[in-house]
Amino acid sequence: MSVTHDEVRRIARLAELEVSEDALPLLAEQMSRILEYVAQINSVPASEAVKPFVPGPDAVRFRADEVKPAPLAFGPAEFAPAFRDGFFLVPKLGQFEQEEG
Amino acid sequence: MAVGWETVIGLETHVQLRTASKMFCGCSAAFGAPPNTNVCPVCLGLPGALPMPNEQALKLAARAALGLGCTVHPRSVFARKNYFYPDLPKGYQISQFEQPLATAGSLSYLSPDRGVATATIQRLHVEEDAGKSLHDRFPKQTAIDLNRCGVPLIEIVTGPDFRSPQEARTYLLTLKQVLEYAGISDCDMEKGSLRVDANVSVRRAGETALGTKTEVKNINSFAYVEKALTVERDRQIAVLEGGGTVAPQTMLYDSKTNGVRPQRSKEESHDYRYFPDPDLPPLVLSEQFIAEQQTLLPELPAKKRERFVEKYALSVTDAAVLTADRSVADYYEAVVHAGADAKIAANWVMTEVLADAKDHGDGLRVPPGALANLIGLVRGGTVSHQAAKRVFAEVAERGGEPRNVAEALGVMQVADTGVLASWVGEVLTAHPAEVARYKNGEAKLVQFFLGQVMKVSRGKADPKLAQRVLEEKLTS
Amino acid sequence: MSDPSDALASAKAAADRIVRLKRLNACLTPIKELRKSLTVQASTAHPSGVLYGMPVAVKDNICTLEFTTSCGSKILEGYRSPYEATAVAKLKAAGALIAGKTNCDEFGMGSSTEHSAYGRSFHPFDKTRVPGGSSGGSAALVGAGAVPAALGSETGGSVRQPASLCGVVGIKPTYGRVSRYGLVAFGSSLDQIGVLGRSVHDAARVLSVISGRDPRDSTCEERDSLRLPNVPESLQGFVIGVPKEYFPQDLDPAVRRACDRAIRLLRELGAAVREVSLPHTAYAIATYYIIAPAEASSNLARYDGARYGPRFNGSEDVRALYRTTRGEGFGPEVRRRVLIGTYVLSSGYYDAYYRKAQQMRALIAQDFRNVFDRGVDLLFTPTTPTPAFKAGEKLNDPVAMYLSDIFTVTANLAGLPAISLPIGRIKGLPIGGQLIGQAFLEDEMLEAAYALERAVPAGEEA
Repeated sequence: MSVTHDEVRRIARLAELEVSEDALPLLAEQMSRILEYVAQINSVPASEAVKPFVPGPDAVRFRADEVKPAPLAFGPAEFAPAFRDGFFLVPKLGQFEQEEG
Repeated sequence: MAVGWETVIGLETHVQLRTASKMFCGCSAAFGAPPNTNVCPVCLGLPGALPMPNEQALKLAARAALGLGCTVHPRSVFARKNYFYPDLPKGYQISQFEQPLATAGSLSYLSPDRGVATATIQRLHVEEDAGKSLHDRFPKQTAIDLNRCGVPLIEIVTGPDFRSPQEARTYLLTLKQVLEYAGISDCDMEKGSLRVDANVSVRRAGETALGTKTEVKNINSFAYVEKALTVERDRQIAVLEGGGTVAPQTMLYDSKTNGVRPQRSKEESHDYRYFPDPDLPPLVLSEQFIAEQQTLLPELPAKKRERFVEKYALSVTDAAVLTADRSVADYYEAVVHAGADAKIAANWVMTEVLADAKDHGDGLRVPPGALANLIGLVRGGTVSHQAAKRVFAEVAERGGEPRNVAEALGVMQVADTGVLASWVGEVLTAHPAEVARYKNGEAKLVQFFLGQVMKVSRGKADPKLAQRVLEEKLTS
Repeated sequence: MSDPSDALASAKAAADRIVRLKRLNACLTPIKELRKSLTVQASTAHPSGVLYGMPVAVKDNICTLEFTTSCGSKILEGYRSPYEATAVAKLKAAGALIAGKTNCDEFGMGSSTEHSAYGRSFHPFDKTRVPGGSSGGSAALVGAGAVPAALGSETGGSVRQPASLCGVVGIKPTYGRVSRYGLVAFGSSLDQIGVLGRSVHDAARVLSVISGRDPRDSTCEERDSLRLPNVPESLQGFVIGVPKEYFPQDLDPAVRRACDRAIRLLRELGAAVREVSLPHTAYAIATYYIIAPAEASSNLARYDGARYGPRFNGSEDVRALYRTTRGEGFGPEVRRRVLIGTYVLSSGYYDAYYRKAQQMRALIAQDFRNVFDRGVDLLFTPTTPTPAFKAGEKLNDPVAMYLSDIFTVTANLAGLPAISLPIGRIKGLPIGGQLIGQAFLEDEMLEAAYALERAVPAGEEA
C-alpha cells in the first residue's frame, strides 16, 4: 500500500497543512509504512463483524434551554492574536470566494 | 420561458430554531448582540471544550419533522462535517450524516404551474450554525463574529421536485408558513433565520435522466430565490444550446447584478470526511418525547384552510388569506366564536383588521369580542357599514365598547319606523314629479329617494329600513 | 494538614524540589511563576479539602487558569486558557495545589516525550533514557519524588507506559469516569485524564477527587466520584486472568520474570489465576492507529492561528495563514498523524480503514467482555514490553514507537480501567505490571493493586 507524492499533497491540502517539496518523499514513505501496517485489520473476515463499539453513555443527555454561558475568565480581546472593534481578524480570503455578501 | 427544456430544482433550507440558548452551549442565541459577546469556550472552539445538546432545540426539530410528515428516528447520530473556514472555529461543524433525525416527509403546496404539488422531504437533521465573516469592514482583513456560531439549525432537504423557479419559491413560502405555525422559527430571510441553497439542473423536455446540477448559494430573500434560479436556469440552457456542458460547480448569486458567478473553486470539491462525533453519544428520543411533540403541533395551514372552507363556507382564496398567519386565523375564529356571522367576519378581518395591523404594526388591536359586537351592530342596522369603519378605527386606537363609541361618535342609526316614516314623507312631499315618474314605472328612482332620505336625516337613517318604508309608502 | 502555614510549607518544598530537578526538563513552568502561584494558592486553598496542601503537577494538555497550556506544542506556545478543566477545578476545591505544567509529547502523540516542542524530558534515574510518554514529564516528576502525584492523560497508554518506565503508579480510569472538559482532545473516544502517583494510595486519592459527573462533558457518566476501597487482607475470591497474547514467545525474558513473580505473589495472596485468551489483541495497535489519528485530525483542525495561539508570519490570505501556522506549528509526529487521520477518513478510504477499525474495536471490546463474563474479575499483564529505552532509539521508524503501546492500547479501545504499578527492576531500571479491570469497577482493581503493591519487591531485580 504505497502513498504517492500526489496523494500526500492532496491530503495535505485537505488538512490545511504546509508540506514542503523536500519533505514529501520521507513523509510519503512513512505514511506508506504506517498505512501498510494498519491495513492488516482487513485480514479479519467481514463475517466476524459486530456493531461498532463506542465507550461512554448509551444516549446523550439533554441540557435545559437556559442562557447560562460556560465561564470565561477573560474574553477574546485578551487571547486573540488579532482583534479590533470586537472582531477577530484574519487576512482576507484570497483563493476562495466569500459565501455571504 | 425556455421552450423544450425542463428545469429541475431541489432545495436545501437551513432554519434557525427558536431557542434561548445555543445548540451545544449555554450562550444566548439571540440576534443582534455586539460582536463576540455571546461566546464561551464551547462555541469559540477553545482547546478542551465539549458540546452539550440543547433539549428545546431537539424538541423543535422533532416537531418540525412531524409537521412535515417525516418519520422521526428514535435513534440518530451526530456527525462531524470537517472543513476549514474562518467562521467555523472548530474546523468542523457538528451536524448529522448517515443517521439523521428524520427522513421521508412531504409538503404539499400550490404550484403556480400545475395545481397542488407535493415536495418530498428527503431528510431533516439538526446541526449548529457557523459564525459570520465580514469581508468589507476592514481593508485586507476579514472580520469574524462568532455570536451566531452554535445557534441551533435544522436542515431540510427536498428531492429534485420543483419544475420552475416559481414553484421553488412557493414551496419555500409554504414551508415558512408551516414552520411559523408550529412555532419552530421566525423564518426571516433578512435576519438569516432561514437560508436556502438550491440545486439546479436542466434537461430536454421528455428526458428522464437528470442533467448535471450546480449549487446556487447566497440567495438572501424570497424574491431573490425566483430571480437567482431563473438566471441560473437560463445560463445552463444557454451553455447547452451553445454545444457546451454544464460544469458541476457552486454558483454564487449576486443580487446587485442579478447574475451568478462560479465560486472560485478550491483545488477540489469538499471532502467533508464525515464521521460520528465521538464527543456526543447517540441521540435517543423516547416514544413519549416524540408523542409530546406531536401533540404540540398545532393544526397546520393546509388542514386549517380546508376546515375553514368547510366550516365557514369560505372560498379557497379567502380561507388562504385568513390562514396565512396563524395569529390571524386564531383571531378570526375567536370573532366567529363570539357570535359574528362567518362571512361578514371574514370580510372584516381581510380588510379592516389586516389593514390596521399592517399600518400600525401593533398586531390585531381590536379584541375579537369587540369586533363581533360591532359586526352585530351593523347587521342589526344600528350602525351603517361606513360608520362602523370609523368606530373600528376608534376602538383600535383608543379601545372602548363599540356601542359606546358609536354613540359618542354620533353614528347610531335611527331604526324607529315612526321617525323614518316622517322623513320619507318629507322627501316624497318635496319631490312630487319624481313620485309620478316612479309610479309610471321608473323603479330606479327609489335610489334617488333613498339618497334624499339619507340627506334629510343627515345620514342617520338606517338605509335598509328606510328603503322598506319608502317602498311601502310608494306602493300605497 | 489543616493549617495555611502547612500548605505554604508544602508549596515551598514542592517548588524547591522541582527547581532541583530542572535537569529532567519535566516542568515547563518558569520557576519564578511557579513559586509565586504556589504561594498564592497555598493561602487560598480550602483547608477542609481532602487533598489540602498536596502539590499536584498537571500535564501541559490540561487547561488550567494558572500557567500556560501549550500541549507541548509550538502552535499553542504561550497560550493561557480562559477556563480551567473540571478535573483541575475539583483538585482545587479539594485543597490541592497546582504545581506547574508538565512536559509531554505534543498533543499527547508519542510514547517517549521526545516529540515535545520544548525539548525532551529525561528519565529520573538515567538521563540517556526516556521517561516514556506522552505523560513523561508528570511521570518523571513523580518518579524523582518532586510531587506525590500528577495528572496525565491517556489515549493509548500515555499514563501507564511512562509510569512503568519511571517506577511509579499510573491509573487510567474507565472511559467516562473523569470529565474531559478542559482536556485538550486528541482521540476523543479514547482520551481520559489519568493519575500518576508515588503509591497506589496517592494516585487513587487524586483519582477519586477528580472523578464524577460533569454536565459539561456529554461522554462523562452520571456517577458519584470514585469510592476508595480499603486495603484488603487477602485476595481470596479474586479470579485473575492472564491473557496469553500478552506473553508472546519473544517477550523480554526479564519482563517475563518480573511478571511471573507478580503472578506468583497474587496466587500467594489468595487469588485464583487462570490463563485466558483475547484473540484479537494482535490487531489492537493497527486499530488504534487508525481511530486515534482520525479523531485527532478533526480535533486539531481548530489550531489555525486565527483565534488564539501565536501567529506565524504575515500571511497574505487566510489559507496561507492556516497552512503556514499548521505546517510550522505542528511537529513531525503530529503532522504525520493528522495526515494519516485525514487519509483514513477521506472519501474512498473511510470504509476500508475507519469503518473497519471501528468494527475491529468492537471485536476487541467483545474479547474482554467474553473473559469477564466467564467469572474473571481482573486481568494481569506486563505494562510495557521493555524498561525505559534510550532517547533516539525509536525515532527512525514511527511504527517501532507505536509498538511500545502494545499492552496498553487495548484498555483504551475497550474503555476499561487499568493500573500500572512497579513490580521490579531490570538492570536497575523500573518495570511495571498492569491490572485491567471491568468498566466502573475501579474499586476491585484498586483492592488488588493495594495488595500487590504491598507484597511485591518493586526495588528488586526481576
